[in-house]
Amino acid sequence: MLLAVMMLASTVACNNLPGRPAPVSDVLRPSQQTDFAALYAQNCAACHGPRGEGGAAIALAGPLYLATVSDQVLRSVTTDGIPGTPMPAFGQSAGGTLTVQQIAALVDGIRKWVPAGAAEGVRPPSYVAGVPGEAKRGAIVYQSFCSSCHGPGGDGGKAAGSIVDPSFLALVSDQGLRTTVIFGRPELGAPDWRGDVPGHPMTDQEVSDVVAWMAAHRVPYPGQPYPSGAGKSLQGGER
Amino acid sequence: MSEEQKFSRRTLLFKLGILINTIVAVIVAVPVVGYLLSPLLKTDRYLSWISLGDIGDFPEGQTRLAGFRSPFGSAWDGATDETACWVRRIQGNQFQVFAVDCAHLGCPVRWFPQSELFMCPCHGGVYYADGSRAAGPPPRGLFEYPWKVQGGKLMIQAGQLPTLSTRA
Amino acid sequence: MTWLRNIANWLDSRLGLWAPVRDMATHRVPRRSASFFYVFGSAAFVLFILQIVTGILLAFVYVPTGADAWNSLQALNHGVWLGWFLRAIHGWGADFMVAVVLLHLCQVFLFGAYKFPRELNWVIGVCLLLLTLGMAFTGQVLRFDQDAYWGLGIGASIVGRVPFVGAVLVHLLLGGPMINGATLSRFFTLHVFVIPALLIGLVGLHLLLVLKLGINEWPMPGRVVRRETYLREYEEELRKDSIPFVPDAIWKDMVFAAAIVLAVMACAALFGPFGPRGIPDPTIIQTVPQPDFFFLWLYALLALLPPQMETPVLLVAPIFVIGAFLLLPFVAGEGEKSWRRRPVAVLSMLLIAVSLASLTSLANRTPWSPVMDAWSGDPVPRPDLQGRSPLELRGALVFQDEQCRNCHSLGGVGGQRGPALDAVATTLTQDQLIRQVLQGGGNMPAYGKNLTPPEVTALVAFLETLHPVGELPARNASQKEMENAAPLPPQSVR
Repeated sequence: MLLAVMMLASTVACNNLPGRPAPVSDVLRPSQQTDFAALYAQNCAACHGPRGEGGAAIALAGPLYLATVSDQVLRSVTTDGIPGTPMPAFGQSAGGTLTVQQIAALVDGIRKWVPAGAAEGVRPPSYVAGVPGEAKRGAIVYQSFCSSCHGPGGDGGKAAGSIVDPSFLALVSDQGLRTTVIFGRPELGAPDWRGDVPGHPMTDQEVSDVVAWMAAHRVPYPGQPYPSGAGKSLQGGER
Repeated sequence: MSEEQKFSRRTLLFKLGILINTIVAVIVAVPVVGYLLSPLLKTDRYLSWISLGDIGDFPEGQTRLAGFRSPFGSAWDGATDETACWVRRIQGNQFQVFAVDCAHLGCPVRWFPQSELFMCPCHGGVYYADGSRAAGPPPRGLFEYPWKVQGGKLMIQAGQLPTLSTRA
Repeated sequence: MTWLRNIANWLDSRLGLWAPVRDMATHRVPRRSASFFYVFGSAAFVLFILQIVTGILLAFVYVPTGADAWNSLQALNHGVWLGWFLRAIHGWGADFMVAVVLLHLCQVFLFGAYKFPRELNWVIGVCLLLLTLGMAFTGQVLRFDQDAYWGLGIGASIVGRVPFVGAVLVHLLLGGPMINGATLSRFFTLHVFVIPALLIGLVGLHLLLVLKLGINEWPMPGRVVRRETYLREYEEELRKDSIPFVPDAIWKDMVFAAAIVLAVMACAALFGPFGPRGIPDPTIIQTVPQPDFFFLWLYALLALLPPQMETPVLLVAPIFVIGAFLLLPFVAGEGEKSWRRRPVAVLSMLLIAVSLASLTSLANRTPWSPVMDAWSGDPVPRPDLQGRSPLELRGALVFQDEQCRNCHSLGGVGGQRGPALDAVATTLTQDQLIRQVLQGGGNMPAYGKNLTPPEVTALVAFLETLHPVGELPARNASQKEMENAAPLPPQSVR
């Protein structure tokens, strides 16, 4: 009798052993995965950093950036990518693997990184160019704000590299240039629109002008020919 | 009746019993063997033309994943009746339709539009956008389904698992 | 308890089994063979019984159709009381069974127990090993998830490499044109009816032969087996120094078998059942199929063989290997039994064991597989981004975007199919980097058609920055000559 009771009790205990699989089946279809942490770690962390702090690509968790860019822009860039640049299209409608719900989950999660109101009181230049820029004025803007780091001709200086290299310009969109000029790359030491010349934040017009100046350096056949073996650096405006 | 005659009749009847059972065994064996070999008896009917959808679903210059249902399935097959394939629309009505089964040992290959490569996760086989072998253990390029455009729909002739001996 | 004894006596007077069973149980064995080295065969038998019992219990719930196998497995895991535990016992029991059968094979081989007069028992044992592996393969298919589905495709592809009859074999294996419900039914029938029936029959023969021929005596160096004299010598040994199997020798088998079964239960309780991993929907392409532990060595072998050798090895090697196993007692049926006097035997066993262990351990890491999410999930290490120019940062983006990370690691993270690129600038010059990216070679595809010139320029600019601090990048030895030579005529850009 005692043996029977002990066996019964042990079967009840048996069900709570460490080997028991979790109650909810954790085997989801890839298209059903909507957990932000898992989606971000799998799709975005390589270029934008494990916590959105930036890396090879811009920081998504910048308070000023998130306060300025709209959800619609985040969603459309994630879905369709930026053609001609290394930002790929992740949406299924554009040939990627993520559904509309998954991209919405990503955008919501990215927003949560920065508490609301973190950028209170600061008004950066508008995300999209409101006024057309002019390259000639842009050259002057460049000399004032950027040449101390990027060199007199844009070829690179003591603190930063070339921003007029044709290969570089072929791989970045005008909006990308604008975003970098406005928000900088603080994780890599590049200041935002307020820090280029302390006390003189750049205006909308100045940003548009300097972007137009950079864009004017694009060439029809960038990146070729490759060096002829003389060991010259691939960088620099020699082409 | 003498002992010899009894023996010979008994042994004759015994041998007759063996003979009858042998004949019956052969009669039973014929349908049994036929049943076991039934998957081989329909080979010419394992391929049929199946629609993958409107050609408008496949943008030009892109490779997209498509799926089709096997016409030879049974009610209890469940999801195993579905098969995936990669559709590459080169231009206009020019297509290539690849099987997802790697030509090495049949693992599903994945398309990466950025580098324009198919990569297999199992043993590292790589194929170019046109299906030709780029690197790794596959002995040939990707298996391709015969295709045609009919009534605005992309049709492929499919239905069997592609291997080095069985065409796609 | 006399009423129990009375019933037993009544049964025995009808069946007459007690006397033969008692004689069989108390048969004499050489004293030195009552050793813990001899317990693996009985442990395999006990595990076989465990697998049959748990298998029958699982078959009460499991549904072997393509539509519902997954659901019935989920029901076993989450719905049926302790169903997960039963699945776990059956799964771990299978792993343990293959391991114990292999241990038994090694022990029999090392102790020369395949020699005269036990050649037939060895042959039956080899057949039992093949049937056990057959159970392992069909069993892992019944756990119908993505590994099982694509594993069937791999099996079909292997079988499809047989010349002339490849297509016939593929359709017979699959029970139809493709992997369907018919395939699962086929494997269920094999796993539950056909192979167990063969196993039970052959195990019975195997045990019968052990009883008839006696257990192998402990091998002594210098005691050589000869057909003319062995049987007499064995009788002599039994007369001189033997003990009844029950109870003097069987207690070691009982202890070890109990320990093994407890080990299976412990693994089942602590680690739980295997999977199922991934819904077996063929349209889910993001999957990395893997076999169970007992076939990992084959997985590694097929990944590492050069492509031209694969079909010959797959088709011819099994014939040679199995043939060698079966012919062993006929080639080496006499001679020394002790492993101390059989260096070829010991070395070849060590070689096979080390090879299988290395291949299995490699298959746990799969260095040959590209890491499919590394391009979008593994960040570029921070030190590789500091102080880089905008072009070089674009190059880092191109590096990730073009799936380079899937095969090449940075900072120890990423794919291992290609070399780690943390110091690539010290081993390749600029020219060599450009050539490698454009033309590939070996396991690397040619990216020339898939990259635009600015992408190549940016990528190579980034790769040129990858050298450890303080180490100089590789230099083209003819660079100085080129720099001093006359300038080349201007080239047309188009």
